[in-house]
Amino acid sequence: MNILETKAICHDFSGLQVLMDVNLEVQEGERHAIIGPNGAGKTTLFNVITGTYQPSEGQVFFKSKEITGLPSHKLVRLGMGRSFQVTSTFTWLTAFQNIRMGILSRRGIRFNFFRFLDKMDDVTRETDAVLKRINLDGERDIPANMLSYGKSRSLEISMALATDPDLVMLDEPTSGMSVDETHNAVALIRRLTEGKTMVIIEHDMDVVFSLADRITVLHLGGILASGTPDEIRDNQAVKDAYLGEMEV
Amino acid sequence: MSKTKRWIFWIVMLIALVFYPKVFGIYYTNVFIIFAIFALFAVSYNLLLGFTGLLSFGHAMFFGVGAYGTALALEHVEGMPLIASVLMGALAAIVLALILCPIVVRVSGTAFAMIHLAFGQLMYVLALKLRGITGGEDGIGGFPIPELNIFGIVSIDMADPLNFYYFAVTVLGLSVLFLWFFTKTPFGSIMISIRDNANRVDYLGFKVPQSKAIIYTVSGCFAGVAGSIYALFQNLIAADDGFHVMVSFAPIIMTMVGGIGSFFGPIMGAGIFGIIEELTSRYTERVELVMGLILILVILFVPMGFIGFINFVKQKFAKAAA
Repeated sequence: MNILETKAICHDFSGLQVLMDVNLEVQEGERHAIIGPNGAGKTTLFNVITGTYQPSEGQVFFKSKEITGLPSHKLVRLGMGRSFQVTSTFTWLTAFQNIRMGILSRRGIRFNFFRFLDKMDDVTRETDAVLKRINLDGERDIPANMLSYGKSRSLEISMALATDPDLVMLDEPTSGMSVDETHNAVALIRRLTEGKTMVIIEHDMDVVFSLADRITVLHLGGILASGTPDEIRDNQAVKDAYLGEMEV
Repeated sequence: MSKTKRWIFWIVMLIALVFYPKVFGIYYTNVFIIFAIFALFAVSYNLLLGFTGLLSFGHAMFFGVGAYGTALALEHVEGMPLIASVLMGALAAIVLALILCPIVVRVSGTAFAMIHLAFGQLMYVLALKLRGITGGEDGIGGFPIPELNIFGIVSIDMADPLNFYYFAVTVLGLSVLFLWFFTKTPFGSIMISIRDNANRVDYLGFKVPQSKAIIYTVSGCFAGVAGSIYALFQNLIAADDGFHVMVSFAPIIMTMVGGIGSFFGPIMGAGIFGIIEELTSRYTERVELVMGLILILVILFVPMGFIGFINFVKQKFAKAAA
């Protein structure tokens, strides 16, 4: 079953056509990578799916329900989570407080004015458990802007997952990471997205081919090819446009 | 600070508040009431600036509307109880906040600040021009101050400054306590998160505009309570005291001077503001000039304000000791 489907998505920024007739299908439970050269429209597609932009044309379906143009907070409540290419944590809050916001959202604690947050032991316990799972328990009370780059990226990814979404959209989770950090991040992503559907934008082909069950190649705003990693690797059009003679 | 120490601190503070008027006499009691009024005003303002990251140049409108609400209620309604008149002031501020909400929650940064400057000035002009209601430049004065009636058992005469002191400090203190609690709830953490990264709050499934609307209304309501007590205290409210742009700038200066990042900073700021005003007004009329200079110095040298400075010194000492 398709958990996410886009139908003939087109999007332009005041005349600049960024997406043209994109039909993306993501099956439930798969790890789906979107790759393509810079400016192919990957992040724009993400923004259209996650409600940042209303597409110029076309429709988006999530769990067989049309979600075109719904605001982000509604999509999150339907079970979609998203991380950002540029780290987008709450910079002055501690790692603990950052994760706790996700936990509060998952538990539906939104407009609660009647209790001390620090005394909600179940929330605290759950947040600490998440921190332990992502190896940030040592940095529990450090503000997000004081974390090392790798750790802040981990936090970024984990915040998207703290709301316990069915579909996780990760926008270049390993961008700017060292080889070691990338290695750890891939292991973390693999661990955290167990049993979930994941869509990931990624430039690092090692990451893509080690993580993805299926790959969609975006080129000049349209889908060039879609298939298993092996199919993509052998696809002549993809080689010409993007992978080139890269050893993959 | 350990838990017991903290309790002892607050109990000592409470006792100090009770005996303050007996020790310092009537003049300084009245100075203290003004301080307490502006402390609540600044704390309510800090909910916007310090906690949610919204700079407003027009917070005086809530203060003024609260003051006029109370004054008008007492002037026109026969037998208006004291508490009800304060609630009328708060209600007036809430209504104003709810009217403005749909517009202001969708903007932030400069637009938010300028919209408030515009609305603030609009309210000022309205207060001057609608003479039939507001009394224009003269304002509303001499309205009856009812006795404080507690469940029909005791009646306390508010004309006695000492009684009024206890009444004002109780209302203002409870308001500050409520706002402190408000920042500690789960909703309070949404507030701080909006300041840091509103976009991410949206992507975690929280409604940002609606949350901002609640914060805005709560902030406005308690500015209204501060204004209401001010009107009762002076037994007079005029456009210059309620809506003037300097009234909007007072909480900004207090928050900046006291410490923008902390809940108690604005209270410190209101205290420092009061002391400086008290001292300078003995020598010159140009209180604003001195306050302006101090604000510049604070922004240049201690951007985190008085509380920030204290924390900085504490850290230095901790390092030196280690």
